[in-house]
Amino acid sequence: MPVWLEANLVSVLNGFAIGFLLFILAVGLSLVFGMMDVLNLAHGALFLGGAYLGASLAGGGASWAGFLGALAIAAVAGLAAGGVLSLLTEPLRNRSHLDQALLTLGVALVVSELLIVVFGDDPLAVGAPPGLDGSVELLGAAYPTYRLALIGVGALLALAVYLVVDRTRIGALVRATVADREMVAALGVDNRLVKAAVFAVGSMLATTAGVLGGPIYGARSGLDSTVLILALVVVVIGGLGSVRGALVGALIIGQIESLGRALLPDFASFILFGALALVLVLRPRGLFGAPAAVPR
Amino acid sequence: MTARVVDGPAAPDSAGAAEPPPRPTRVARSAAVAVLVLLAAAPLFLAPFATTTLTRVLVFALFAVSLDLLVGVTGLPSLGHAAYFGTGAYAAGWVSINVTSEVPVPLLVGAAFGALAAALTGWVTVRTHGVFFLMLTLAIGELVQQVADSWETLTGGANGMTGIPATRLAGQPLVTAGYLYWYVLAAFLVGFAVLWLVSRSPFGEALRGIRDNEPRMRALGYPTSLYKYAALVLAGAGAGLAGALLAAQVRLVTPADLGFATAAFGLLAVIIGGAGSMWGACLGAALVIVIRDALGPSLDGHGTLLLGVVFVLVVYLLPRGAAGTRWPRRRGSGRRGSGP
Amino acid sequence: MADLPTFTRRRLLVLAGAAGAAALLPGLAACGSSVGGGGSGGAKAVKVGLVVPRSGVYAVVGTDLQRGWELWLAGHGGKFGDYAVTTVVADEGETPQTGVPAVQKVLQSDGVDVVVGLVNSATALGVRDAIAESKKILIVANAGAGDITGKARSPYIWRSSFTNAQISSAMGTHLAQSGFKDGVYAIAPDYTAGTEVIAGFTKAFEAGGGKVVGQAKPALGKTSDYQPFLSGIQSSGAKATFSFFSGAEAITFVRQYAQFGLAKSIPLYGSGFLTEGNVLPQQADAALGVQTTLHYTDQLDNPANKEFVATYSAKYGESPSCFSVQAWDAANVLNRALRSATAVDGDTISAALGGVGTIEDSPRGPWTFEGQTPRQTIYLRRVVRTGGKLVNSVVQDLGQQSQPA
Repeated sequence: MPVWLEANLVSVLNGFAIGFLLFILAVGLSLVFGMMDVLNLAHGALFLGGAYLGASLAGGGASWAGFLGALAIAAVAGLAAGGVLSLLTEPLRNRSHLDQALLTLGVALVVSELLIVVFGDDPLAVGAPPGLDGSVELLGAAYPTYRLALIGVGALLALAVYLVVDRTRIGALVRATVADREMVAALGVDNRLVKAAVFAVGSMLATTAGVLGGPIYGARSGLDSTVLILALVVVVIGGLGSVRGALVGALIIGQIESLGRALLPDFASFILFGALALVLVLRPRGLFGAPAAVPR
Repeated sequence: MTARVVDGPAAPDSAGAAEPPPRPTRVARSAAVAVLVLLAAAPLFLAPFATTTLTRVLVFALFAVSLDLLVGVTGLPSLGHAAYFGTGAYAAGWVSINVTSEVPVPLLVGAAFGALAAALTGWVTVRTHGVFFLMLTLAIGELVQQVADSWETLTGGANGMTGIPATRLAGQPLVTAGYLYWYVLAAFLVGFAVLWLVSRSPFGEALRGIRDNEPRMRALGYPTSLYKYAALVLAGAGAGLAGALLAAQVRLVTPADLGFATAAFGLLAVIIGGAGSMWGACLGAALVIVIRDALGPSLDGHGTLLLGVVFVLVVYLLPRGAAGTRWPRRRGSGRRGSGP
Repeated sequence: MADLPTFTRRRLLVLAGAAGAAALLPGLAACGSSVGGGGSGGAKAVKVGLVVPRSGVYAVVGTDLQRGWELWLAGHGGKFGDYAVTTVVADEGETPQTGVPAVQKVLQSDGVDVVVGLVNSATALGVRDAIAESKKILIVANAGAGDITGKARSPYIWRSSFTNAQISSAMGTHLAQSGFKDGVYAIAPDYTAGTEVIAGFTKAFEAGGGKVVGQAKPALGKTSDYQPFLSGIQSSGAKATFSFFSGAEAITFVRQYAQFGLAKSIPLYGSGFLTEGNVLPQQADAALGVQTTLHYTDQLDNPANKEFVATYSAKYGESPSCFSVQAWDAANVLNRALRSATAVDGDTISAALGGVGTIEDSPRGPWTFEGQTPRQTIYLRRVVRTGGKLVNSVVQDLGQQSQPA
């Protein structure tokens, strides 16, 4: 195989790794937005929190205990944070969605500054757990084993989320709320609980993504805005409230970030934002979003 | 004649939030005059650094007021307004370096380019609402910042546009902090006056109507998209003017001036001060700058934390209606419109 | 309920106004006029404004700068010549948006005689006019843009650090002589420092007969995944990679370079900041064998450096970095200038700095001012593990280098 083709195939593979990571991050944002029209701008800060957790517990000499411990703590912290966010946006339920979005913006500012206060200004690096920190000979080049593992984990999580949302009663409730909130309320289900649950699980996925992404992205201030914007692009392109949309959108963005940057390094960022703007204007509900999910 | 605007907003279902702001009371008027006098006399008794900080406040306040026209009056929450601010700053800087830095050329160029940038991007953004508008403007802001970062030959790239000469008034460069302050104050007052008058005009009332109930306004026969577009271009001009003042004061424009942080701080200033009230936006801007520049260093650079907390508190304490200031009800204080 | 928020909002605004006024009060307290001129007096005392980052991503560099500065003063009785030194520290922050106001503050509010510091080149270029107009001396203790002492030079702006191209052109010459003429890939972030580094490297490398087979400029501060660029390096057929990154990006790049297996086949070279300071421990084993050029390493074997490292480590518990030396030398040259100066105004000090001659007692080795920026020895260093710690050990002395044109 010619060298340039090999190199680009590696980029494609990498695109899947990044894509699955983005999916784990963005699916929570998409569901909350689709269900409650709440744009959670603090989502990036949650990712950063997970990243810092991973860096402090599994940073220096990475070990499985540290890594899994970081994952567990991040999951619990994410659940709690999601619950708190849900509580915080409750009083604003009757006000415009903009107010709720602004509230999460304020929370994002506070959380990201607090993280700097606690963890310091230094950027931190996270090592992959032993056994996954080597590389594999693939298509004539070395590819980090960890990223391959990430593809596997991401695919499993995607399957799990899909099964829950598509096959369980809770999932049916979530899908129904995305489609028609008032009707579900009229059926006697307490919207607040569903919202809190989705918020909690979505935030848990975000912090977990932060830990999982540590060996690739590390932890540094400013990462939260970068990641938030990527997640927003995924959610808008994929469609609000749709798990399938989040997956497809994430994989597409993963490819743009990987293959796109390799082929057109100067234009990759423009493609990203241009695509976002285009979708928002032409088809605001995204590729898989429900038509009713577009707020007025 | 005037009946259509007066009757519409005073509908019973959006109690209070739809009322146009009452005419300023006598107290408000004398307060405004007092503040003006203080502002004008400031350099005479303030140390140079305090004057420089106050100048910075004025620049940011003009930016916030132009954003308020969008957010508070028209109900379009923008997270990308800094793009027009920065475009105006770069344009004014470029003109100052390459053509002339004589007043009022950089100001006019800055305002013109701010309006142009808004016109180019506005036709895309006015077709969306609410949170989608927020996201789209965020995307556009990031795009414009990318352009500024990459177009090194024009903007100086990541290092920014340096070496902007001092503004000249009738040939004399304005270098002393005090003279520069008066120049910025004069430009600020002009910009503020224009934006304030627009918000009080029938056009401004129509914008408020659009903010509160766009379908109704459309039903009444208003071309709402056109009105929103006009508001956007005007706000862009205001932001561009503020940008030109930034270029004159700091004499350095960087891509960060176009970025998400600047836009977010502007939105913070508007919300904290009270969306819809122009002087409120000024106060919010003053708070943001003071916390960031004066208190920030003593808080180890964590002024943003304090701002975030204040912002969260303000969002909670906002009265009903996202973008509307509730003035205390005074019986018979010259409220327009017939209430129920 | 309906009226309560209104009342609270108004109170909040009034409180905000009061808070704002209270914060401006310190400025008022230093009453004066912004329209007239002002003078500074003071017998045999000099006030220095140290403008370094104390928050944000460069905070570590700022800490090193401050430590180097304070160490010199502590070891020399806190005086430059006969002048007692007062230092005012201001936070440069991360960008010119905070850096320029910080410099304005020390000039206008604190009334300093000399400004020292500045990590960010954009800030240094941005304050050039303010410094020139105030006729006070600025000693740039880090910012490496060539224009600072090139196109934008001013008699009041001196530098005790380096220029970007100075460091990279030394590597360019070296690689051309080391058997890599056939192909080197150059990569640096897309901003002025990155551009200058690559330009300096390319010019020297090609002058030595070398060929740059590929180049990449990842977006600054936005790139966390270098895989696309690493693939590009592999497919270019390069024999070695020359890179320049600093801070978080240096950590990520070097680690990923090793993770993707390039370290074994395509040796990594770089401008010294790739492995300098606190990024080295974070890079861990991924950095082993990476060779860089820089004007300093704490492993230098000269008497001045041995003493410097010993006192620095004793006081701060860490090894010094090139940033510590740059600030230390800023104090060093100011001392030499003020030994013979009769006043602390900009013109006198500028003339005195011009006559300072060779600075022999610097930890980095002897150096002189040339065009108001150091002409100094550049060392080739390699990352090795000594005594359980990763250090940049000296491989070769590449001779004295000037600021390239």
